[in-house]
Amino acid sequence: MISLPTYLLTIIITSMIVNLALALYGIFFKPHLTKKIIALTILGDTANTFALIVGYRRWIYPDTPSRPPVLVNYANANQEELIKFVNTAVDPLPQALVLTAIVIGLAVTLFLVFLALQIYRLYGTLDVREIKRLKG
Amino acid sequence: MRHILGIIIILLFIIGFSLVLTIAGNYILPSQEIRSLAKYYLYLAYNPWHRNFTVMSPEAVTSIVWDFRGLDTVFETAVFYLAIIGSIALGRGILKYSKPEGELGLSLIVKTVTKISAVMIIAVAASIALHGHLTPGGGFQGGATAAVAPLLILIIFSHYYLLEKGVTKDLMLFLRSLGLTGIGIVAIIVYLIALPQGIHAYVLQNQPKPDSSIGLPAYINGQLISGTLWFFNIFEFFAVMAGFTIVFLLITIPERAFKKEGEGEKQ
Repeated sequence: MISLPTYLLTIIITSMIVNLALALYGIFFKPHLTKKIIALTILGDTANTFALIVGYRRWIYPDTPSRPPVLVNYANANQEELIKFVNTAVDPLPQALVLTAIVIGLAVTLFLVFLALQIYRLYGTLDVREIKRLKG
Repeated sequence: MRHILGIIIILLFIIGFSLVLTIAGNYILPSQEIRSLAKYYLYLAYNPWHRNFTVMSPEAVTSIVWDFRGLDTVFETAVFYLAIIGSIALGRGILKYSKPEGELGLSLIVKTVTKISAVMIIAVAASIALHGHLTPGGGFQGGATAAVAPLLILIIFSHYYLLEKGVTKDLMLFLRSLGLTGIGIVAIIVYLIALPQGIHAYVLQNQPKPDSSIGLPAYINGQLISGTLWFFNIFEFFAVMAGFTIVFLLITIPERAFKKEGEGEKQ
């Protein structure tokens, strides 16, 4: 018997693996630097999504969803509520790692875009095959 | 070489796909239990009953980012800093360039809409950064959001408009250095407070620890600031926002400022 949630989640994970394969293909085989950078961002985002899925928590009962790792009612919280929060919240660690990874990914992408722009200014092309042929 | 790589990628894809199909239905659903480390973080993020271990921030992600794994974040900020420095180094040797004649930028409608939305973007970004220890958000996210406002102005009003308003590369470099210096000072502030009192403290310490009775106050005037977290978020906000603005300013420098430089290096 196939359950619907399992099937839907399999679709998501399969498409993420396809995404990963496409991104690797783009990085290795596309000769244009802009396309390489786009493929690199796809690779980074897919890796981040994988990390988030690792930290997800299945609903314990169909009517009690997993909670985000934020204690909303902190001012009036008692120990009992805190234990309940620990037992229902998702894993915050992958989220913390992904958060910094996104901003650093953006900074590195901007650096790469700027590098590609400078390469275009100097050589007049972004095709790695042509850049390879140039001397100096 | 290219063919071998292609074959390897196709093989990896087939292996990965088969693996997914094999384990589907058994292990693919996330577990109901999370790792004990995650439970430790969740339990101690805001826990007034364990004052020697808690961060006093109801947001577990920010607690991890700036307290439990604060050193990681400091190094990640260093990577961010290096990427921006790399961009600035690439943009060296820019010639003097003047503003061209005539009306610049997009139409009046777009400009008016941008004037309204840019203020709102900054306000939202500031609230994300200032509430980072209470709700999802923080310095990184706030700074990245705030950097959208100068980007919009650059595209819609032109590069020169932003320069005329005083948002120059040097000012942004100063702001970014200020943010990074602030992060450095907040990282050792508990140590600096403890030193004259003869108590030992740790780098990146926030609340009191079992063997170090000193820490920054979690509440100021009844408002929760979670010790160092609030300061870290503010300084990170400035560092990230100014860092991105520098790169946006460099990317939009007109082409003619580079032309002679490029030709010079070619010869």
